[in-house]
Amino acid sequence: MTGRHDPTVVTAVLVAAEAAINRGLELDPTSARDLADMAGTVLAIDCLSPEIEVFAIVEETGRLHLTPYWEAPADVRVRGELTDFLALATAEDPAATLINSDLEILGNTSPLLALQALVSRMQPDWEAPLVDALGDVAGHQLANLLRGIFRWGQASSKSLRRQLSEFILEEGQLSPPAAELEHFFEQVTALGLRVDRLESRLQRLARRLAAQR
Amino acid sequence: MKNNDAADDPGTTHFGFQTVDRDQKESLVRGVFDSVASRYDLMNDLMSAGIHRLWKRFTIELSSVRPGQTVLDIAGGTGDLAAKFSKLVGPDGRVILADINDSMLRVGRDRLIDLGAVGNLQTVQCDAQELPFPDDSVDCITIAFGLRNVTDKDRALQSMERILKPGGRLLVLEFSKPVSPLLEKVYDAYSFRVLPLMGQLVANDPDSYRYLAESIRKHPDQETLQEMMEDAGFVSCEYHNMTGGIVAVHKGIKA
Repeated sequence: MTGRHDPTVVTAVLVAAEAAINRGLELDPTSARDLADMAGTVLAIDCLSPEIEVFAIVEETGRLHLTPYWEAPADVRVRGELTDFLALATAEDPAATLINSDLEILGNTSPLLALQALVSRMQPDWEAPLVDALGDVAGHQLANLLRGIFRWGQASSKSLRRQLSEFILEEGQLSPPAAELEHFFEQVTALGLRVDRLESRLQRLARRLAAQR
Repeated sequence: MKNNDAADDPGTTHFGFQTVDRDQKESLVRGVFDSVASRYDLMNDLMSAGIHRLWKRFTIELSSVRPGQTVLDIAGGTGDLAAKFSKLVGPDGRVILADINDSMLRVGRDRLIDLGAVGNLQTVQCDAQELPFPDDSVDCITIAFGLRNVTDKDRALQSMERILKPGGRLLVLEFSKPVSPLLEKVYDAYSFRVLPLMGQLVANDPDSYRYLAESIRKHPDQETLQEMMEDAGFVSCEYHNMTGGIVAVHKGIKA
């Protein structure tokens, strides 16, 4: 990993990511406790583009340690492009995303799914550090404001996705509906099977014809 | 690039850009570190903009130290690495913070006690060229920004090889040679103009920081240091350039 990228830059990125994740875990003790149950698990993330190898190690304290260098074998190794990893991290159904994506998985998938589920259901209490730093009144007001902005962001994102999907399907007719697409794929698969059967029948007939001559 | 530590006359060596008697270097280096000890951490943060923490963290990752192991941190200064190793080796392991300089060692020991790193940690004042430890007794040795101040680097590397257990590893974190000529020019300007000024303003000691810049230029480059480690008996030697080669961490294994 370090041959391609400067270890200083990689370490800086990992330190920042690790600090953010662990801060989130500190504010969500339930998730931290669940993570502590997986202590010792090593997940290798082998990103092909950009080419980076990162190891995530679960510590006994329920914290996550990110490192670019690890000598012992990992429990599970996931290999793929950055876009595949981002899709997995934000997926509502991680198991389906794993199966349908181009991610290559080596080893036991259960810690990977458990980690993903843990990240997706994390609900950090952002109010606690704000109250500690700014006092009860200002901290609570600021937390309310941030929560409002976050909710608005989530709702806007959902609404935008729904409207975009409607436009693509209905207004622009740029893509067929999912059910129609699935039916089309089924037909293509059935046709493929019929072609295979026909091909083997022809081969059998050709062999029989050759034997008669 | 040849070993810059070796002056033409075998009785002399370099102290920055000056040529001094070999016997003199130790006391001159001691003078520098006696002078900077109290503001060492602050100056490190200022001079490197905090990046020295990333260099040290990557060195710790390369150490692959496990609970129960014995780690020796030579020229351990104010105990940055030792504090981290103390957590990694746990209560069954042992970390030895070693430094030739009493002032640095005292600052390091006080700082480690303040951090709660006690129980598995010892401090030893010793010379890297004559390490006072038994053969094959240590799992990992680190020396961060210390080797360039050692008078006879070859002797120090041999001494480290002697006390490492077979399969044990040495990690040398040290300033090195930038890989890009452009970066080298910028770095030279920074080292010889900004560093002494910073030393003057913050520590009221421009000479010590001028020595720092000069000693870096006289230190062996990446390939030379790797050869020196191989000559001392280390195998599977390799190095990782960091921040464009301004710093490099060398790793060697005792056969």
